Amino acid sequence: MTESTNGCGLQLGASVPDFELQTYDPVKNDFGTVSLEQIKADGKWTILFFYPADFTFV
Amino acid sequence: MGAELITVSTDTQFVHLAWKEHEKSLADVQYLMGADPNGKLSRQFGVYVEDAGLALRGTFLINPEGTLLNSEVSFFNVGRNIDELMRKFKANLYVAKKQAEACPAQWKDEGDKTLTPGPSVVGHVHEALTK
Repeated sequence: MTESTNGCGLQLGASVPDFELQTYDPVKNDFGTVSLEQIKADGKWTILFFYPADFTFV
Repeated sequence: MGAELITVSTDTQFVHLAWKEHEKSLADVQYLMGADPNGKLSRQFGVYVEDAGLALRGTFLINPEGTLLNSEVSFFNVGRNIDELMRKFKANLYVAKKQAEACPAQWKDEGDKTLTPGPSVVGHVHEALTK
């Protein structure tokens, strides 16, 4: 699916392209990676929660 | 609840570890903390602020099929409400199961009144929600 460019990146209803992120897992206390394909394969929803910076407020 | 919550900032995963160890209010955190130091994912979701090199406060809900169903973005100085995030997540879970129904504005949790869009409801939403 194409990405729409209304200044908002992806449009609602669009298919999100696969992504991979380096992560810190506090439960395992280890580094790893997570990918959208892997979460979809597990049949789960994904909630991405962006925020500006660690060690800051709010 | 069947969701993978991933927080993302432009900090590296090493800073996430240090912050988790240091900040007591993160003591019970069990979600994955994602690193986006080159801003690639933040740009893809339209939350990257080039001048600051930081991501805005954006929350995105994606279903298991990979479709983006909800987004909320706030500027740096206003935080998001977790109750509202839970409400939206539960509402989306509900309508994914009951595709003929819709969750109206007052809907908060499973058991609250929903609407079944159709010709009989047009102009009669008040009756549909109060009967």
